[in-house]
Amino acid sequence: MTRTPDQDSFRYPLVWRLLDGLNTAADVLWPRKMARFTGWLLLAPALLLVGILVISLVQIAESSLHVLDRSTFMPGEDYTLANYATIADSATYARVLWRSLLGAALTVVFTLLLALPYSYVMVRTTSALTRKALLIVLFLPFFIGQVVRAYGILIVMGRSGAVNDILGLVGIEPLRLLFNFPAVVFGLVQYMLPFAVLMLAPALTAIPREIEAAANSLGANWIRTFRHIVIPMAKPGLVGAGLVVGTLSLTDFAMPAMLGGGSQDFIANAIYDQFFRTADQGLGSALALILVALGSVIVGVIIAFFGAGTLGMGGKK
Amino acid sequence: MNTGHPKTPTDKPAAGSNVAVCASNVTMDFSGFKAVNNASFELEAGKFLTILGPSGSGKTTLLQMIAGFLTPTSGEITINGKSVDAAPPHRRSIGMVFQKLALFPHMTAAQNVAFPLKMRRFNPKTIPNRVAQFLDLVKLGDYGARRVNELSGGQQQRVAIARALVFEPELLLLDEPLAALDVKLREEMQLEFRRIQHELGVTTINVTHDQREALVVSDDIIVMDSGKIQQQARPVEMYRAPDNPFVAGFLGMSSFLRGTACAGGLVVEGQRVAGTASAAIADGAPVCGAIRAEQIRIAASEAQLGDCDTRLSGVVRDAIFEGERQLYVVALNTAGEAEIRVYHHDPLTFGLFEIGAPVVLGWNTSDMKIFADGGAE
Repeated sequence: MTRTPDQDSFRYPLVWRLLDGLNTAADVLWPRKMARFTGWLLLAPALLLVGILVISLVQIAESSLHVLDRSTFMPGEDYTLANYATIADSATYARVLWRSLLGAALTVVFTLLLALPYSYVMVRTTSALTRKALLIVLFLPFFIGQVVRAYGILIVMGRSGAVNDILGLVGIEPLRLLFNFPAVVFGLVQYMLPFAVLMLAPALTAIPREIEAAANSLGANWIRTFRHIVIPMAKPGLVGAGLVVGTLSLTDFAMPAMLGGGSQDFIANAIYDQFFRTADQGLGSALALILVALGSVIVGVIIAFFGAGTLGMGGKK
Repeated sequence: MNTGHPKTPTDKPAAGSNVAVCASNVTMDFSGFKAVNNASFELEAGKFLTILGPSGSGKTTLLQMIAGFLTPTSGEITINGKSVDAAPPHRRSIGMVFQKLALFPHMTAAQNVAFPLKMRRFNPKTIPNRVAQFLDLVKLGDYGARRVNELSGGQQQRVAIARALVFEPELLLLDEPLAALDVKLREEMQLEFRRIQHELGVTTINVTHDQREALVVSDDIIVMDSGKIQQQARPVEMYRAPDNPFVAGFLGMSSFLRGTACAGGLVVEGQRVAGTASAAIADGAPVCGAIRAEQIRIAASEAQLGDCDTRLSGVVRDAIFEGERQLYVVALNTAGEAEIRVYHHDPLTFGLFEIGAPVVLGWNTSDMKIFADGGAE
């Protein structure tokens, strides 16, 4: 390229030259003829992560097949299904499993019940101020973290906490609000709400206002519009949010541990106890595998029932 | 401006006849901006009215007030004699076809059509028959079980029409539903709207910016601009006798001359041009003359023009071939070199005049309409 004095005085912006440099480097490192492998290249980090996960799962599966030798406190040499038999025979573990499933299911129901109207108002409001306020209120607890939030709930709902103080004003004796199953579900709902709202918002945004106006003009009041139009059309978002909330709740550790006070263990707490308290690695691994299997089956059934399309990932129409 | 009442007595139904929709002095004020300004009109039962106007003219706002999605700031709308201003949309008996159709994607065509019947608590036993009857009406008898996204654009239009009509509303509103279709389909659907409307005799208000659609489908046209009703008349009347330069310019292709009034015409930059005013205008007042492109003849010499009483010479500035006709833009040699647009319809002489060619234009004095110049065009 020949340069004239005019061109010498002109320089492209720095960012342009940087990007040109990157482009050249990319061409050298990943030539054009490699283009058909680009998809795999982009997948590589994810495959690496999943690979590590699979390896550790295999190891957990292996260790779940050895029983703890009580004399040496080392895993035994023999392969056996004794750990699974122990779990199957134990009423305690049945209770823990049932509690986890029930807690997750209730959390899904209550979270969606609260998240749907919240999300709807946030999406539909014409006031930018209202939308911002709703987002901030939603995100403040999100940034605080689960453990700190659980402590907050412990303080507010304690025997001499703010909630009981207010109840005292209307003459109600202090109630035991903590360390029971409802407290755990309450904590989980509170923790999951932002996830659900954020997953529902795009689904609701995708419903044109004109559709609701059409339902109105065809004779549906707002309740029937919501029931017959908004909820069915938001189904992908509801299923997606339900799956995320359900799996996160099923595997949650902090809320049952802190708000349940040891009496309301979920599976994750039982696993923790086996690994770090009784040091029975085999039993803990068996519990972990059961949790993985349980979660996978539930997710699989729901996706098979509603179709992958409901998660907004294409699939069947 | 005009009060909204048609000029010619024959346009107007006799007082007290069956007026289905009546708007009186309706204004919609969006915090200082009057989207609709003091609009009044009447619509006879069973007629097809088109509200025609450019975007931002207030036509959609007016329609939304009739549908009940907006409440007028002032004024009153009555449907079949009852004021509807306090009724929410779902309590009005109005079927509406929306701009983007707003079909329910999670339902089949038949479920879409059945929806208003369920919501309006029709006897469940009669619903399937009625749905079938209206799907037949829009020629979709075999498509009831299809999902909305399995139907073509034209078929979706038909579902939307059936859904809006199935509960036999007092009034059908069309909010530019044809705007997104291609020309062929649009023209087909215009005729369909007309056929269905005639078949059911339902009072209909259509909103569009497409002047051709307005002329094709309507019994009555209202032209709106900047929130005001400019004229209400039957299509032929409106085309033949526009009330003001805006209507003359919006409906059809018109050329305008601006000047001052004189006896029997107007003076443009010293050149007198003969014309006809519909109302008395004082000599010397600013006026605007409008003439339609198809009412002008174009020839190489005065001798070839034939019978016309106004003749002006000019130069071809542009020649555009449009298939069934040729459009010439001619700059007059006098009258401030005003540009006049001429449609030439004789296929034998298409392409006769090149750009730069000297020509003579001729028209009849009665076709040059003269209006008091309000500035609008």
